[in-house]
Amino acid sequence: MAMMEINKLGKVFNSHKVLDDIDLNVEKGDVIAIIGPSGAGKSTFLRCLIDLERRDSGSVNIDGIELNPDDKKCVEKVQAKMGMVFQSFNLFPHMTVLKNVMIAPVRVKKAEKKEVEKKARELLKKVGLSDRVDYYPSQLSGGQQQRVAIARALAMNPELMLFDEPTSALDPELVGEVLKVMKDLADDGMTMVVVTHEMGFAREVANKVIFMEKGKIIESGTPKEIFFAPKTERTREFLKKVI
Amino acid sequence: MNLGFTLSKIPIMFQASLMTIELTVVSLIAGTILAIIIAFMRISKRKIVNGIAKFYLWIFRGTPLILQLFVLYYALPSWGITLTPFVAAVIGLSLNSAAYTAEIVRGGIISISKGQYEAANVLGMSDVQTMFLIVLPQTLRNILPAMGNQFIGMLKDTSLVSTIAMVELMREAQLIGSATFKYTEVYITAALIYLLMTSIFSFIFNKLETKLSVY
Repeated sequence: MAMMEINKLGKVFNSHKVLDDIDLNVEKGDVIAIIGPSGAGKSTFLRCLIDLERRDSGSVNIDGIELNPDDKKCVEKVQAKMGMVFQSFNLFPHMTVLKNVMIAPVRVKKAEKKEVEKKARELLKKVGLSDRVDYYPSQLSGGQQQRVAIARALAMNPELMLFDEPTSALDPELVGEVLKVMKDLADDGMTMVVVTHEMGFAREVANKVIFMEKGKIIESGTPKEIFFAPKTERTREFLKKVI
Repeated sequence: MNLGFTLSKIPIMFQASLMTIELTVVSLIAGTILAIIIAFMRISKRKIVNGIAKFYLWIFRGTPLILQLFVLYYALPSWGITLTPFVAAVIGLSLNSAAYTAEIVRGGIISISKGQYEAANVLGMSDVQTMFLIVLPQTLRNILPAMGNQFIGMLKDTSLVSTIAMVELMREAQLIGSATFKYTEVYITAALIYLLMTSIFSFIFNKLETKLSVY
């Protein structure tokens, strides 16, 4: 059984179909890259999976739990299985890097502080920020902030990580360090769904690429299929423009 | 200017200024707690709750503080409610300052970006946790300069309670002045004590601001 099953997911904004019957299965260990022009509904799709946007139709099923947006307990359960990384980082500016990573395990999971701190330091080491634990987010570069955000999400032990254009707000020279952390994560076997404009990442790290436009999945396949032998004219056109 | 006279009155005026400080601090605390409640009511999407808060602001920002004090102290007894000057003063000052502070707090809360709520949400925090761990601490820092103004304004507004038989610094100055006709001495002394108190307040707020601006 797939880790996550999305069936006929639909979302309407002002009678405009932002998402139109999206079907997708995410298997354990998958790294799925979602590409497409702006306004295609990529971010909205991702946000529906973790209930930051409410879907209007269809179903989302993770590990056998059906996401019911009206059931708070259910939403919590589903959210606990996922970690999310935002385009604009959304770190808590009034907390140090270490505290940002520790706050959720300590307050939400009520885990033992010492243990949490140990794990937080390990995670920060993993994302290459051991020497920045006592800094505030505003004292870090965008790339560093995004790496903290990844560590913060990992601290909750998610089974699945969602990335919403994680490098779009970064200076070009800082994109690499974030992608490197994401690649390491993928190599460790983390299941990931990534909305991205980084075609290099989609081609080299993802095992499945989805091309979306106007709220629909136009084409999906392995990176090889999408990048070297796209089936639809639209995909070909898009790739010609962005690569 | 009679320096000897001025010096002889300083102890009693300092004594009276303790009441000014007491009024300020008590009203400040009560007013701020009330202000946070009203700010949340103003943010609420429920029309009735929002409406009550709006009505409150309309009344207390739309009428003079001195009138509110008069109603509390002189008009309420005819309804069978008699308040001591201190209680009337604290209630009046708190209710009035809460109206202004509530808008400052509300402005601070709505200035926190949606991304902060979303990040807290996906990390599993409850609404209460999000408020107390994420939103309010950031709000506090953002509104500190405006709150400093508000608090200093409150300290000076306490002089109005001299009109409802409350003996604080202003009232003491008036009493000594009318008994001795040495108005210049007492009012200058009172002014200097007010300046001293507002300076201390400003100093404390500046310190707090520096402390909170580490990030």
